[in-house]
Amino acid sequence: MPNDEIVGLLDLATEFKAKIIAGEDVPSMKKTVIGLLFFENSTRTRVSFEQAAFYLGMRSSNFATSASSMNKGETLKDTILTLRHERINGLVMRHKASGAPMLAAKHFGGPVLNAGDGQHEHPTQALADALTILERKTSLVGLNVSIVGDVVHSRVARSNAWLLDKLGANVRLVGPRTLLPPHPSMLPGEFCDELEEGISGADVIICLRLQKERMAEGMISSIGEYSSLYQINAETLRFANPGCLVMHPGPINRGVEIDDVTADGDSSVINQQVENGVFVRMAAFYWCFGGQQS
Amino acid sequence: MKTLLRNGRILDPSLELDEIGSVLIENDQVIEIGKIEDLSDIDEVYDCTGFWITPGLVDMHVHLREPGDEHKETIISGTQAAAAGGYTTICCMPNTNPPLDNPAIVDFILDRAASPEAGGVFVAPVGALTKGLKGEELSNLAAMKRAGIVAASDEGFPIQNSQIMNRAMVFCNQIGLPILAHCDDSNLSKGGSMNEGAVSAMLGLKGIPRTSEEIATMRNCLLSLHTGCPVHIMRVSTWGAVEIIRLIKSLGAPVTCEICPMHFVFTEDDIGEFDTKFKMQPPLRTKVDVELLLQGLQDGTIDCIASDHSPHASHEVDVPFDEAPFGASTIEATLGATLTYLTHSGILSPLETVRKLSTMPAEILNLDGGTLKPEGLPVAQVTVIDPDIEWTFDRNKSFSKSKNTPFHKMKLKGKAVLTFSGSEIYRDALFPAERYAIYI
Repeated sequence: MPNDEIVGLLDLATEFKAKIIAGEDVPSMKKTVIGLLFFENSTRTRVSFEQAAFYLGMRSSNFATSASSMNKGETLKDTILTLRHERINGLVMRHKASGAPMLAAKHFGGPVLNAGDGQHEHPTQALADALTILERKTSLVGLNVSIVGDVVHSRVARSNAWLLDKLGANVRLVGPRTLLPPHPSMLPGEFCDELEEGISGADVIICLRLQKERMAEGMISSIGEYSSLYQINAETLRFANPGCLVMHPGPINRGVEIDDVTADGDSSVINQQVENGVFVRMAAFYWCFGGQQS
Repeated sequence: MKTLLRNGRILDPSLELDEIGSVLIENDQVIEIGKIEDLSDIDEVYDCTGFWITPGLVDMHVHLREPGDEHKETIISGTQAAAAGGYTTICCMPNTNPPLDNPAIVDFILDRAASPEAGGVFVAPVGALTKGLKGEELSNLAAMKRAGIVAASDEGFPIQNSQIMNRAMVFCNQIGLPILAHCDDSNLSKGGSMNEGAVSAMLGLKGIPRTSEEIATMRNCLLSLHTGCPVHIMRVSTWGAVEIIRLIKSLGAPVTCEICPMHFVFTEDDIGEFDTKFKMQPPLRTKVDVELLLQGLQDGTIDCIASDHSPHASHEVDVPFDEAPFGASTIEATLGATLTYLTHSGILSPLETVRKLSTMPAEILNLDGGTLKPEGLPVAQVTVIDPDIEWTFDRNKSFSKSKNTPFHKMKLKGKAVLTFSGSEIYRDALFPAERYAIYI
């Protein structure tokens, strides 16, 4: 996606946000029916897409996988073909396999919005994060953004690194070497295995969730050791620039990757990320359907 | 019945022969090669001017899927595909369902392969090294050898326990059964679906590190060195594995190895956006690996070329990359890919090409074949190759049931146009009709 289109999308999200807050009308896309296909558990992202669809007057249909025929052994391809021929206009999809939305798009023939695929991408989260930063820092150009934690397993880290780098930020990926990709060359940004150095001079810190199963896989020794090395708290925040924003895509492990005080503190914009998620998803819907029904 | 293959370039590495001449087949046997002057009482003539006449090709690594997975391939469709690929002998792998781990299944496979509908190629089964391919107890290897297996392997389920592998080698060495080893340390590769590297980092796919192949290669090489058991390393894909094999050969271990065409034609970059027909085991690696694999082919470290024909049904591969099975249908493209990427590019001479596709694999597994030598073979096994014909691989024309292949729509140069096992078992549409004459 070219930069001016990304900026256009973020501008549109800003416009929708202003109108919704002021109680003004937004475009109505009431003839559009969107299918929400969450093959992996998610509350926040699913609700955010539902809310975005609601604001635009779209109808959303939830396909809870436990109730659908996927449990009867139907393949992803057949599920998608069925929805296509039920004349669903677009899909929002989350799947545990990287690349699954591309496969879905191949068979669906209409817009498929990626709501997170495996360890690959989570583009609308990155857009919400970019909007949240832009509201406070006016421009991304030259901004130092450190993404801290379990980078290798994180689709949020990948999408954010690509998007923020593209919009001119200096991206750093920070974490223990076992949780950084072994071959960085195709991801933008510098790699850093030490927190102090990794967030020094940072204008924005994006914390990533640490999955507890990483211990069983031998990637970290203990939660305690991880926290002592990589937790964002008042003490470690001193290395960042004054006014540094602290972000987290959620769900948070309080006391692990971020402490309570920081998560709820003045520098935290975690709740704003959630809020902006709704508006960027509205913009994404509008962009996908060309606003043709407005 | 006398059949003359006239005026071709005879390439027979077993006789170190590279000369223009003819091959005479009578009663299913090669009876004469060279300048054949006396053309009286010849019944049929194939004009092979400009073509190569070679020993029938031998493929050490083929999955025929029968019994159990007949929706992917059958012995009939697989042997027909083999004949079309220029092969006269193929080895079928034991990961069938149930696994090929007892003499009854060996009998079943040999019976099916000998049926008149089959492609007419010899099928040499490879038995499971351990019962059920579980890596725990050895199969009844001696009984299977009597039934006709030519080697033993746990193929895609490599034995992780080094002691079991050690004992397997000691016993196989005793009964004279070579071991084929797919080398993978599964703790390192678990859950991976492509080469661990820059591309996997970008796609968010779990990688298979080169160390998982190289550690297992080193282990199997060392066990071969110390037990004396002939071990053939299957589908080498990393430069490190080539180095290890070069080293162990220099120490005198009875180790040989193969490469599959996917690993010298493609790299991890070809996966693009999650294209499952490029999902291989071991995974497609990098340009640097390909460069050093070519060197290994050239200096003889890599002994032979095998197709690793691994057919899958289309619905099985039209799934997310993680969930797709490894492997693709390749036996009909292996010769073309080899000629295009190795021979015409100057990596291998024509004679070396034939050595790696026929004579070496036959030698490694003590198979009948890999030679045109008039005495000694049960029936003539001969392939006629047009080395210069340019063609486009079309999966819809393939004999394999599986249409899942990375070679689809690829332009290749060189093709088998005739295959003989005793008599003609395959004639390609590209063999010009006017080059054939029959006098009875």
